[in-house]
Amino acid sequence: MEYLLNFPSLGRETLRDFKKSVDSSFKEFSRSHGEGIENFFEPLLQFLVFFEKLLITSPWPIIIILIAYLTWKASQKLSLVIGTVLSFVIIGLFGMWEDTMSTLAIISVATFLCLLLGTPIGIIMAKSNRVSAMMSPVLDTMQTIPTFVYLIPIIMLLGIGKVPGLIAVCIYAIPPIVRLTNLGIREVNSKLIEAGKALGISKFIILYKIEFPLALPSIMTGVNQTIMMSLAMVVIASMIGVSGLGVPILRSISNQYLALGLMNGLAIVALAIIFDRISQHYARRIQKHKDILKK
Amino acid sequence: MKKILSFIIGACFLLLLNTGETSAACKNVKIANMNWASAGLMANIDKIVLEKGYGCKVDLIQADTVPAFTSMNEKGSPDIVPELWANSFITPLNKAIKEGRLHRLNKSPITGLGEGWWVTPAFRKKHPEIKTVLDLIKRPDLFPHPEDKSKGGFVTCPAGWACQLSNANLFRAFEMEKKGWKLIDPGSAAGLDGTIAKAAERNQNWVGYYWAPTAIIGKYSLVKLDWGIPFAGKKNWDQCIAKPEKDCANPKPTAWITPAVNTVVTDKFKKNADKTLIKYFEKRTYPGDVMNGMLVYMTENQADGSDAAIEFFKKHESVWGKWVPADIAKKIKKSL
Repeated sequence: MEYLLNFPSLGRETLRDFKKSVDSSFKEFSRSHGEGIENFFEPLLQFLVFFEKLLITSPWPIIIILIAYLTWKASQKLSLVIGTVLSFVIIGLFGMWEDTMSTLAIISVATFLCLLLGTPIGIIMAKSNRVSAMMSPVLDTMQTIPTFVYLIPIIMLLGIGKVPGLIAVCIYAIPPIVRLTNLGIREVNSKLIEAGKALGISKFIILYKIEFPLALPSIMTGVNQTIMMSLAMVVIASMIGVSGLGVPILRSISNQYLALGLMNGLAIVALAIIFDRISQHYARRIQKHKDILKK
Repeated sequence: MKKILSFIIGACFLLLLNTGETSAACKNVKIANMNWASAGLMANIDKIVLEKGYGCKVDLIQADTVPAFTSMNEKGSPDIVPELWANSFITPLNKAIKEGRLHRLNKSPITGLGEGWWVTPAFRKKHPEIKTVLDLIKRPDLFPHPEDKSKGGFVTCPAGWACQLSNANLFRAFEMEKKGWKLIDPGSAAGLDGTIAKAAERNQNWVGYYWAPTAIIGKYSLVKLDWGIPFAGKKNWDQCIAKPEKDCANPKPTAWITPAVNTVVTDKFKKNADKTLIKYFEKRTYPGDVMNGMLVYMTENQADGSDAAIEFFKKHESVWGKWVPADIAKKIKKSL
């Protein structure tokens, strides 16, 4: 009867020993390999520091012009360019320029890194059903596991700062780009690939010239999602010592500074909307090409 | 009906018997149990001494610092606050003590308690010559900042904590920026603990802010630095060091303010209690390392205050044996 009412769990002692052995073996690992892993990421850290400094120390008009230019290049919509410039001016007026630049630095590097890693994984998943079946639960875990569960081991390995922050952001933000690359490539019309094969084109050229361009709209949606999710991680990243808009938000949380929290929160929202619109317009422009092709 | 009645009478009788056993002084003692580990442990230890040693009846009531003090001051309950951090309301507390409503039985219930700047034991071993903050700030090269190796990194409090202001002002007071230091904001309590854990596990140098008694201090045997200078007065601290940077134009170098942590009891309790019991509270000073060790035990075994209290009585008889008379000690030991 007792066994029906209370789940026959492992004994308290057994569980404690289990937890202790997991903890101590991880600590052992961190002690012996931590330094090596840290050195491995050192160039990335230096790049992050350099990039952040570059954004912060460059004169602000240059940054704004650059952003406006990029926005125009990507979207070719004047209203969007004006809106973007206006948002950055307002951010600057409210004294959040430096924090915004820090956030911009880590978000762009994070997005770039996610694309660099995520797209190939997505392509491999599209090519192999087995890899796809294996990766799906991993991606699910990455998206749903509470952040602090992996933050603590990352801190133990790499300490606090930009690199662990970047890794935490990427763990959360990489799944959409992987999934949507996979989806996009799988949805490419098989007749076109057959046509390519019939012409005797190599597999790589098929991927590069047929599949990838046709999957691009879907991949761009992935990029968009990845940017949005990495922006959502800004505050969490600040909890492990990443500078940026998350720091004043944390300060306002612990001191109930209403206005400070709202201002910085809205700055993140502004960044998110700008990134979202730019990447969407870019994707739409690419799609237009596709429509013409169809006709 | 008769059965019920006799049961009630019996129960009342038992109750009477029970209360008859305890001395009138401590029929119903209320001890404030705070929500941090060391206070919870102390409350539970006091409870065991009072109940098993003196036959009192004790209730632990969950309380927070300021409400506990207010209620004690106004209503005379709870009777005992084992670990009262009184810096923020020291004036009304002193007034209440002067008027005889409250009594301060112990001025430092835990030794080595308070905030300060700490280093890892590995660092102390490598550089035994660096004993004070004044020595340390001359050597930023020993603590390379992760993002700028040419600077020394000092781990301060996460953004938004009161100690962040004090550390930033002390940083200016000691002119540490000129000497090649940079503050590291760990972002959160977990981040702060993480930097310590990482450095201590790998025997690296680490310097930063922390406070005792805490499990982290005990677990990694961090060493508190002496300041090398005395406390530069309450005015400098309250009106400058503890304020935001813009309100503190000329911070003077100073040691960290000593916290006023007391064991405080009500007048009613003191009047009625056994003399040796009052002596117990006066003698009951936990050595800092014992307390930190207990906190490590609590986190490692996920024990709450009551479990840890029993562990304390079992393990540290040499400590608590001196606090109570021999016969009381025997009673407590028998009850475990």
